[in-house]
Order: sequence, then C-alpha cells, then structure tokens
Amino acid sequence: MTMFHHSMLVLLCIVLAFGVAKKFRLSTELSMFAAALAALAAHVALPKGADPRSVLSLPEIVRHVVEGACTYYDVCLIFLTATYFMTLYKQAGGVAFIVRRIVGAFHARRFVCLVLLTFVMLIPGAITGSGATTVLTVGALVGSVLAAMGVSEDRRTALIFLLAAMSAACPPINLWAMMAAAGANMPYVGFGLPLALLSVTGALFSTFWLAGRGRPVELEKALADLPEAPAAWTWLRAMFPFVVLIGLTLAGRAWPFSFPILGLPLVFMLSAVATALVSPVRLRLLEVASTTVHNLLGLVGIMVVVGILNQAMTLTGARGLLSLAVVTLPVTVLFAALWIILPASEGVLQYAVAPLFGVPLIMLFNMLGLNPVISLASWAVMWPLGDCLPPTAVVGRAAVMELGYTGDYYRGFVRTALVPMLVILAMCTAVMIYSRELGALIGG
Amino acid sequence: MNLKFVKIMTLLAVIASTGVAGKLFHEHRSFREPVVAGEGLSSVKKLGDYSKSVAGTINDANVYIFDSGVPGGAILIIGGTHAEEPAANVSAQVFTENLRVTQGRVIVINRINTSASTCTRLGEAYPRFFHVKTPWGTKKWRMGDRTANPLDSWPDPEVYIHYPSGQNLAYMDVRNLNRNWPGRPDGMLTERTTFAAMELIRAEKADLTMDFHEAELEYPVENTIVTHQRGNEVAAMTSMMLTSQTFDVPIGMEFSPTALHGLSHREIGDHSDAVSYLAEVAEPMLDRIRGITDEELLMSGRDRFVMKAGEHKLLYAPIDEKGWPADKRIARHVTTVMTLLQVHNMLHPDRAILVEGIPSYAEMIEKGVGAFLHDPSAAPKGRVFYD
Repeated sequence: MTMFHHSMLVLLCIVLAFGVAKKFRLSTELSMFAAALAALAAHVALPKGADPRSVLSLPEIVRHVVEGACTYYDVCLIFLTATYFMTLYKQAGGVAFIVRRIVGAFHARRFVCLVLLTFVMLIPGAITGSGATTVLTVGALVGSVLAAMGVSEDRRTALIFLLAAMSAACPPINLWAMMAAAGANMPYVGFGLPLALLSVTGALFSTFWLAGRGRPVELEKALADLPEAPAAWTWLRAMFPFVVLIGLTLAGRAWPFSFPILGLPLVFMLSAVATALVSPVRLRLLEVASTTVHNLLGLVGIMVVVGILNQAMTLTGARGLLSLAVVTLPVTVLFAALWIILPASEGVLQYAVAPLFGVPLIMLFNMLGLNPVISLASWAVMWPLGDCLPPTAVVGRAAVMELGYTGDYYRGFVRTALVPMLVILAMCTAVMIYSRELGALIGG
Repeated sequence: MNLKFVKIMTLLAVIASTGVAGKLFHEHRSFREPVVAGEGLSSVKKLGDYSKSVAGTINDANVYIFDSGVPGGAILIIGGTHAEEPAANVSAQVFTENLRVTQGRVIVINRINTSASTCTRLGEAYPRFFHVKTPWGTKKWRMGDRTANPLDSWPDPEVYIHYPSGQNLAYMDVRNLNRNWPGRPDGMLTERTTFAAMELIRAEKADLTMDFHEAELEYPVENTIVTHQRGNEVAAMTSMMLTSQTFDVPIGMEFSPTALHGLSHREIGDHSDAVSYLAEVAEPMLDRIRGITDEELLMSGRDRFVMKAGEHKLLYAPIDEKGWPADKRIARHVTTVMTLLQVHNMLHPDRAILVEGIPSYAEMIEKGVGAFLHDPSAAPKGRVFYD
C-alpha cells in the first residue's frame, strides 16, 4: 500500500464516519468530530507506504485534536462579541428605531432604499472580513426593512446571506485573499480594485434580482407591523454605538503606529458598552450574554470541529491529497471546475481553504503566466459563496438564525440564492480566465 | 442513554484531553535548547542589551559574539526567523558551536523569534520537536510556527500595516518577523524584536547580514540568495562559485524587490550600512500538497505527493527519492555563508572576516550535521547556553 492509498482510505473513512453519524441522527458538529476521530484511527491502523514514518503516540494524537480545536479561536470570539453587541442593541430598541425611520423615509423610493441597504450590509464585512459579522450586526435590521418592503421570507434570507458573502469579499479586508497571499509570500497589495468591482457588482445584482420588484410599501400597515421603539430614541443615540464600532476600527487604520491594537472582540465589547450607555431601557447584560452564548453554540461548535478535522486531514495526508488533486487537474478542467470546487471546499473547511487551495493555485497560475492578483481576487469572491453549504454553512445558518427563517433551508433559502450565486461565480470565472488581460487593464 | 451521564462523560473526556495536551504544550514551550558555544566565543549578550524594547521578553535572544580582536569586518548570522524552518536555526547553531574567528567579528543569533518556536502552526499538524543524531546521542530542538506565539503577541489587528512604509499585509503577519523589519521600539513583539536587531546591526557596525530560511518547492523564490542591491556582486559570485563547484542543485541569486516591505533583505540594507542577504533552501514539509506530516518528513524531506507535483512540472526545485534531507539543507546554508565571506573578503579586503572550524559541505553531507554538534553534558559549564 502506498501513501496515496493510505490518504485515500483515510478520506473514505472520513466520509463513511460522517455518513454513519448522520444516519444515527447526530448533529453536524458531532458527525464531523466523529469523522475526524475516524481519520485519526484509520491513520494509526493503516499501513503508510514504503517510506519510514515517525511513531505517533496516543498523547500526541490527543494534542493534535486539542490544537486543531483552537484553530479558529479568534473567529469564535468575534462571533460571540459581535452577536452580544447586536443583541443588546436590539433589546434596547435601536433596531426597531432605525428600521421604522428607514421605512418612513424611503418607502416611496425603492431603488434608493435598496442601494442604501446594500451598502449598509457591505460595510461590516468589508472592515472585518467576516460575513457572519455582517449577518450578526446588521442582518436582522436590514431583514426587517426588506420584510417591510414586501420581500418574501425566502428572498430576504437569501439576500441577507448573499450580501454578507459579498461583504466578506469586499475590500479592504478579504481574509481569503490575505491568507492565501501571506502563504504565497505576496504582499496584500493591488487587490482593492478587482475585489471591489466583483463584490459590489455581485451585491447589487443580488439585491435587485431578489428584492428589485415588490409591491409598494403601505406605510401605515408596515409601521403597524414593526415593533415599537422606545420614545427616547434619537438618531444621535442610535448612531453612537456604530460610531464607536466604526471609529475604533478605522482609528487603527488611520493611526496604525500610535493607536493601540484592540482586536475586534474588544471593539465589539466596547460597542456593547456604548449601547448600554445610550439605551433608554434597562438592559439585562448577563442574561443577554448567556442567551448569546447559548444561541451561538452551534456556530462556535462547528468552527471548533472544522479546526480538528483540518488538523486530522493534514496529519494523515488527506488534505495534501485533495490539494494535489486540484492542482494537477488539466488547466481547462480547472477553469471549468473551480466555480464548484471553491465554494464546496469553503463549506467544508472555512477560511482554511485559502492556504490549502489558494497557495498552490497562486503558484500554478503564476507558472501559467496568468495574473495571480486578479485570479486570487476572483477566487476570494467565490469562496464566501460556499458559506451556506454543508457541513459548516456558517453564514447561511447565521442568516437563518438572525432572521428567524421558518422555511426549508435547501429548497427554500439556498434554492432562492442559486441564480445570483451562479451569476457571481460565472463573472468570477470569466475574470480568472482573462486575468492577464484584466491585470494589464486595471493594474492588479 | 441518560443525557446527564453523556454530558458528565463528555466533560471528563474534555478535561482529560485538555490536561494531556496542556502538559505537552507546556513541555514544548518550556523546553530549553542547549548550545555548546565554540572555543572562539568572546561574549554572549542579549538582544535586549541593544534595545530595552525587547529586554525581558521571550524574544530577548542570546547574541553570540566571536571577536578575533583583529581589525576587520563583521557579519550577523540570523537563525530562527521562521521557526517552522528548522534548517535555519540549526545552521546558525553550527556556526555558534564550531566557530573560530581569526580576523573581524562574527555575531550569531540562533533563535531570533524564540516566541515562534514555542508553539506549532495551528492546522498544520507539525511535530513538537525534531531530533538530530550525533556521535554522543540525540540532540533535540523545538519545532515551531511561522509567526510568534499568540500567547506573547495578541490580539492581531484586522489588517497589519507595516512600519514605516504603510504597506497593508495579512493580519497574522504582524507576528511574522520577516515582515516586520526595520521594526519600531513601541510596536508589537516582533516589531520590537527587529528594532532591537537593527540597533545591534548599527551598534556592532555589521558589514553584512545573512537571514536563513526554507521554502516550499511550489514557491518561486527557492534555492537562492536574495540580496539587497548593494550586495549584487558578492551574491552573484557566491551563487556562481557554489553552483559550479559545490552544490548538486544550483543556487540562484535574486534582487530584493523594492516595493515589498518588511523583509530583512530589503529593510536591513535600506536602514543600515549593512548589506543584507537571505538564503532559501527547499523544504518539502512546507508544501500544502504534502502527504503524511511527521518528523520523518521534516528531517528526510522526502514526500511522494510533492514528487508527484514535480512530475506535473509544478515545482521550482527538483525532488526525487532522496528528498531534501535536513543535513543537505543545513550544509547548503552553512556553505553559502562561508562562500559569501570568501567573496566578501576578496572584494573588501579592508573589511575581511576570516573564520575557521566550520565543516565543509562534503563533510556535513558525509558525516551528517550531528557530527559537528557538541555534547552539553560533557562541555565546560561556561560554554553551555540555552536558547
């Protein structure tokens, strides 16, 4: 048996263990954990090929599990603190206030309203690089406005997801591009324009495809359906927590050598404090914190388990085998398949796909004479679209949770999002194929 | 099954796993690497002696100074920039343990980013330690991460903005020492470390610096010397001599890009009188397409998946059944510095640096690098130091 056979069998064990665990009705998180343990067990039990290998002791296997579990520690902290901030804001009545004001001001001007909402959705992900942060901070707010504009539940959930995905892809921060560029020792320079063109076009297309048409808003009925906001709310109060959030984030960018590095979790916690300060109603801070952690257990759990699975796959050669399989595809097949491979792999591994596939692909495209900056930018817009796909579906699940979606996840929400997703993927594929020409044109 | 029972058992399993892993993490972080300094050692300073900004931190590295007392030039040899590239720090240690300087000075830092060597890279499934066989037993080192340990430098910014260029880089690069030159005294840990190293370079009036690295075979900057533009003559001649006389796989020469900031080959040369060089050698374990990840791969550099990629012409370095053993990677680095010094002495006789005691390329390949590392238990106490 060669190392190829070994890693293939490990992959097979992963798939089988996941399937069996699902059959026994275990949650996705537990099923993935079972798959990771199966990979480790198979690695120990199976022959590893002709070359000598190091001994792997049981304590070291345990160490790999625990180490893998810490891979997305920072991302989990961001999820928790961002959600805590937004939940407090909602409890304080801030969301209701803003939604009522937007509906009141723009109910007769759908086009302007949709463009504004699109940009409101793009900002949080653009400055943090996280689609989940977009959903958790402004997703519910924008969803409420869309509901008031007569956008159906399927369409508005699909739109919130798509805008969150495009916000994560939007510059200045695109974590996939940054991580892949860092892995390939490329500076994160020249990505702004291609990322902005692709993500903003994708966001606006999604918005008008899914919410462009709808019945005119009946102002009185819409306002009656929306929750009341405490009377003491004003625009000044409502904006204060967001000024703190954006101000602290941008301050680090404006004065990078004098402003202390706070980190996003602390920025969100300070924004939560700002919310508590301006709230006209008394907030139950500990109760909200407890509810937030409870609500996010699934999301955080999946990130922890993805880290473990990734570590197990790396240890056993299964990750390398997948990566090798992708980069050794014939170029035409690669062009034709990346639009499926990238989102699907994102659904499995999250940000870990950027170094896994991104780095070898950059090297390959560089070797083929294609523009690596433009190509990576196009992949970095395709990747986040996989965040509604199993097994992780992190942003999709967050959107469903935040909007209280009651329909069928795949036949309702994902199916509705399919057309804009395909258009964005086609656009990115075209940009990738013509990256050399586009690079000469826009200087990427 | 009773849910409460399942929960209790799960909690116990988590506590036990965390305990086992915690013990291993602690062992890794607290392991001290013995160094038996060569007879020619003049003094050992700390990086913090050159700048308070790093004094007392985990990156307050040992600075081994070999001063001949005869006027000449000075070179700084830097190991351990990326702690996941073990040939770098072991190559530096080959100098520390064997060096005798007869003219000028040689300054060596084995572990410039010690913090990075106290954890492995999350998701990469690295071994915690690596070992080299020696005539007196096995010598052990910490395997590390590319970036400093978050326990020493956290949180990261959303985007890392390089000082002083203002260039944007990925957030984790704030912990990547070779994206933080020339550093600043009040920045994050790695920025303070490179600032202290710059102070050292200026205070010791170094003429040249060499930063050791390893790279994946998919990476185009491979088996090469990257040089600041002021070092082009020396680097070109070194590359030609090594390729024609010594190495089976050629070593190239490349200019440091002027628009790419934070790297030693660019910033040291721009911010001091020293001419900066960086040497790269192939390490298959850094390739994302590698197979089983273990110490065997790290030390033998032999991987069937990487070989398969080579068959598809996807690599920038050759690889066959023999792989890229650590002995060969270390021997290339050590010999590159020796040849670089030879050329430097030829072109700058007034600033010559003459050294002895360093094994030749052929000796290291034939006997293994372990033959040139010394037993700390048999060495006089005054010559044993810990990195």
